[in-house]
Amino acid sequence: MQDNKKSSQKSGFDFRSITKTKGFSAFTAALLAIALGLIFGLIVMTLANPSKAMAGFRYVLVGGFSRFGDVLYFATPILMTGLAVGFAFKMGLFNIGASGQYTMGMFFALYVGFMVELPAGLHWIVAILAGMIGGMIWGFIPGIFKALLNVNEVITSIMFNYIGMYLVDMWVQGNATMYIASKSRTNYLPSTVQIPSLGVQGSNVNLGIIFAILIAVTLFIVLQKTTFGYELKATGYNKYAADYAGMKGKRNVVVTMIIAGGLAGLGGAFAILAPSAIAGSSMTYEPINIIAANGFNGIAVALLGSSNPIGIIFSAIFISHIQRGGSLANLVGFKPEIIDVVIAVIIYFSAFAMIMNSALAKFVKSKFGKKVEMANANAEPTTTNKEAK
Amino acid sequence: MKKVLLIALSLILVLSMVGCGQKSDDGTYEIALITDKGNIDDKSFNQGAWEGVKAYAEEHKISHTYIKPEEASDAGYLAAIDLAVTGGAKIVVTPGFLFEVPIYEAQTKYPDVKFILLDGAPHTADYSTFETKENVASVMYSEEQSGYLAGYAAVKDGLTDLGFMGGMAVPAVQAFGYGYLQGAEAAAAELGLADGAIKVTYHYTGNFEENDTNKATARTMYQEGVQVIFACGGSVGKSVMSAASEAGAKVIGVDVDQRYDSETVITSATKGLSASVVQVLDAIYNDGWATYSGKTTYFNAANNGVGLPTAVIGDANGNAFDRFSTFDKAAYDAVFAKLADGSVAPIRTITVADASGVATADELTSALNLVKVAVTTR
Amino acid sequence: MENYIVEMLNITKEFPGIIANDNITLNLKKGEVHALLGENGAGKSTLMSVLFGLYQAEKGEIRKNGEVVKINNPNDANALGIGMVHQHFKLVEIFTVLENIILGVEPNKMGFIEKKEAKKKVIELSEKYGLAINPDALIENISVGMQQRVEILKMLYRENEILIFDEPTAVLTPQEIKELLKIMRGFAEEGKSILFITHKLNEIMEVADRCTVLRKGKYIGTVDVKTTTKEELSRMMVGRDISFSVDKEISKPGEVVLSVNNITVASKLHKNNAVKGVTFDVRAGEIVCLAGIEGNGQTEFVAALTGLEKMTEGSIRLCGKDITKSSIRERSISGMSHIPEDRHKHGLVLEYSLEENMVLQRYWESKFQNKGFIKFDAVREYSEGLIKQFDVRSGQGPITVVRSMSGGNQQKAIIAREIDKKHELLVAVQPTRGLDVGAIEYIHKQLVATRDAGKGVLLVSLELEEVMNVSDRILVMYEGEIVGELDPKTTTVQELGLYMSGAKRNTVKETNHAG
Repeated sequence: MQDNKKSSQKSGFDFRSITKTKGFSAFTAALLAIALGLIFGLIVMTLANPSKAMAGFRYVLVGGFSRFGDVLYFATPILMTGLAVGFAFKMGLFNIGASGQYTMGMFFALYVGFMVELPAGLHWIVAILAGMIGGMIWGFIPGIFKALLNVNEVITSIMFNYIGMYLVDMWVQGNATMYIASKSRTNYLPSTVQIPSLGVQGSNVNLGIIFAILIAVTLFIVLQKTTFGYELKATGYNKYAADYAGMKGKRNVVVTMIIAGGLAGLGGAFAILAPSAIAGSSMTYEPINIIAANGFNGIAVALLGSSNPIGIIFSAIFISHIQRGGSLANLVGFKPEIIDVVIAVIIYFSAFAMIMNSALAKFVKSKFGKKVEMANANAEPTTTNKEAK
Repeated sequence: MKKVLLIALSLILVLSMVGCGQKSDDGTYEIALITDKGNIDDKSFNQGAWEGVKAYAEEHKISHTYIKPEEASDAGYLAAIDLAVTGGAKIVVTPGFLFEVPIYEAQTKYPDVKFILLDGAPHTADYSTFETKENVASVMYSEEQSGYLAGYAAVKDGLTDLGFMGGMAVPAVQAFGYGYLQGAEAAAAELGLADGAIKVTYHYTGNFEENDTNKATARTMYQEGVQVIFACGGSVGKSVMSAASEAGAKVIGVDVDQRYDSETVITSATKGLSASVVQVLDAIYNDGWATYSGKTTYFNAANNGVGLPTAVIGDANGNAFDRFSTFDKAAYDAVFAKLADGSVAPIRTITVADASGVATADELTSALNLVKVAVTTR
Repeated sequence: MENYIVEMLNITKEFPGIIANDNITLNLKKGEVHALLGENGAGKSTLMSVLFGLYQAEKGEIRKNGEVVKINNPNDANALGIGMVHQHFKLVEIFTVLENIILGVEPNKMGFIEKKEAKKKVIELSEKYGLAINPDALIENISVGMQQRVEILKMLYRENEILIFDEPTAVLTPQEIKELLKIMRGFAEEGKSILFITHKLNEIMEVADRCTVLRKGKYIGTVDVKTTTKEELSRMMVGRDISFSVDKEISKPGEVVLSVNNITVASKLHKNNAVKGVTFDVRAGEIVCLAGIEGNGQTEFVAALTGLEKMTEGSIRLCGKDITKSSIRERSISGMSHIPEDRHKHGLVLEYSLEENMVLQRYWESKFQNKGFIKFDAVREYSEGLIKQFDVRSGQGPITVVRSMSGGNQQKAIIAREIDKKHELLVAVQPTRGLDVGAIEYIHKQLVATRDAGKGVLLVSLELEEVMNVSDRILVMYEGEIVGELDPKTTTVQELGLYMSGAKRNTVKETNHAG
């Protein structure tokens, strides 16, 4: 009995970091959520166009495989904003401000791109870092408000989405080098500041995705292996216990929001600095007073990825995959708006199912919770040979 | 375990359903329109062009669709063109100058596909090469004629104190403005007014935005006695309309019929997006492609490419001139005919000393031969 | 055959891997208070859940008035007149008392709730049984005691005749417990039948007619309370002898470890101060007990002492060092260990594993981290040591998620962590709350051992027995002030009670000095 227990513990330890039972169940939950989302998407497609629904749905489902480069390319920014939301959520902070941080990062990257002259190999790196700093500033402000004045970060970060967007639009329009008024968009960025492409034919996929995945893995390690991650998660799970243990809650709130902001800012930088398949062209920013959708998509990405950085890599790629496939549904005659609806249904229903999943678990627990506790309590005498002294 | 089973089952279900679906090619289409950053119902280029595509294609039972780019960038537009061609498009309609660079790429990439590029001409990203290949029709509009009609109508309607608020002094905006002044001059002459009887306050905002500065400018102009402002600069119009409704004054819209944007809009100096698309499509299907192929064609009154709205959108019996006091369809038709037959040819460009293209009052007066109209700039 | 109202015969209920109830039989007579005794995890709650329809037993049958019944869900149970007060109340916080009572059985006329009638009935019931409530108060605004009365009224309103109380006294103050036991007795005399789940022997001796004992899912026996003793019950429950008195030497107080001076803390609930000028010392090698009825400022005082909350006035010296303005971490490093009052709120991160919780106070020490990376091997080794030393039992050892552990073992984990950490002062706040006798005995021993190791112990407790048995010196707190210092060897429970209720007070150090 004793040996048995030990060996099972040992094997538990070996797999622990990878297939922790919790992470694994989150994975199955995500699959279930996705399956539900897909079914709902199919229903919407069938309602829209019964005869083409299957063909269209097949594009949604597998179409992305034929354009994997684009899948990765479009996954890059939402992977970053997903991390921005998910990382903060690990600490119990709901960072709705990823859009503003993203836009700010975009602007800082643009600024370096247009206004700072640097050698080719260095220019884009500096621009990326500038984007990160821009996002960090925009994450820092809600963080410091939360830490010092206990202002709810949801409210501040929503406000800062607007403030950031309007500020950036104003700055862009006020800068004659950046902005071409007659086309109401920014100028083409110099090629020195564009992130090197990965060279996939017909796709802008670039080093950004590699960086994004590396960052996600780094975050995973930070969360799992470091004292900072330990404090962060402890605060997220139970901030009273974190206080009790003498963790510097306020400092951690600010640091977390800075990191989250930096992640979203990087997303903005990766998006705007992407190379263009057309010579001399580049990404452009249009200051048309619209909040960046990628910030909000980050929420869905984070939800679907259970806020786990590794999960977020996969959920970002999945969402991008569905979107790319969805565009192809055009080929069988689905209108873009219908496709948008279908994709939104799939993504948000999946994310929603993910929430419901935890709500469901909570419900089950509250109803049958005794079962679990009892089971464990009763496990004691059978799994340990130590009878009462 | 149950959960895993459930997932497996539902995935199998979904996949098998997909497997049953036969790939059908009848979803392909001949004419595809790519929208720019806006939606299909943007009351501007996308909508105007799409109405043309739809009208022609439905009449002739040609399959058609529109595609929304995944990303509002040159590469994103090009990707949307790729998708359209993959989907079988033989004709691709791209509304707006944002497509200039993507079309430059696409015309070489797809020599067998015909492109209709509205309000732009293909060129490289760095503007070093302008080239319109045989498979591209570049469509531009004679804004000066549209502006002429607007100015003519305003003065004919009895207004004497006019305003012009352009965005930036780019060619299209300049042409609208010059036409506006010339139209006002012509109407004043017909009415036999004294020299300088018509006052025009002429202004470029320097941007295409809705903002407080623009609104304040419009408000000041109205306070100074301006009766109607020709708002010619994208979102500048919203600022002007907002000022007009406060002042109880009038506005002339631009590009498309802006009747429904505000009660203050008496008419709009439109470009016939829909009509031009229909005409080019008609040429393509009736061996007339050579007329448009490989060059820039200006649409004007002669081919119904510009004008004031003559019908109320969504109301077949509505009177498009109901917001004028006296000016009506007959008077409009008369002046339109003159433009169409070429007996009246407004000046499109003048020489301007200022680098940014902002003309002085003297430049305007002398170059456009203004007598009845007294221009002040601000 | 006796006249049993409910018979649960040979009930067996299994959960994956565990037999929670193994062939258990329980017979309830009409009009009796029947106690169900067992340690945490003995299977009491499972058995009651089977009766209440939350679980279905694999084997065995339930009879009511001799007839076999099938109870598939709580509604079936209700229909049979079985009601249950859960350990964690099932009340809608934002509803009023009345709304909660009638929830699910709302009297209505064409779909409109007829509150007036219901209110009349509820008030009648509350007066009849002495269950004071305000029907219009919101649940979130009323005390735990009153919430429990609401739960009881829910059963009465549904005219249940078999009332199950699942550890009802765990959340109550001594006065409220007394009141509740009286009410239960009243029900029994009225002919209702009570099933009373508990592990507190005193309560059983006071109120129950018979007692069924479970141990590790097995039926041990049913005894008549009049003919048994506490010692026998505890032997049945634990399987060995339990000593109720705490063996300890006379304390030998040494240097002053903790010196608090004139501590004043503002209240969050009202305008007055929650703690008013509290001054006392704790010496090395003594257990000082801060006694008092709940809500007399103990919680606020401890929060200020440990740094969780700010105080408005006063100073604290720990081992001669002024820590008045120190952070929680600094206090911890200076030698303060803290067993918090609410182990779920403060003491543990329930989602973390046992080993992660074991280093909650120490993860930053160089022993457990290197350049910011946690040394998981060291953490594992350390927590395995503690688990062994303090006999913390759990399903999977160090990697058990703490939420799944029993309350007693959660508390043991905290105690292991706080005692093993280098400290000079141990602040233990209600360390035995909600635990069974075995665990209580263990914790008392640990407190004494800490004292004997030359540390100062400040024990905050509501349990009179604990106060009398464990401490070397008693400070009674009443309305935020220290109203008396007593020597447990010379004082009586009655006298202590008088101080606690504010009926008597002396100036500190008027009575015997400790030790």
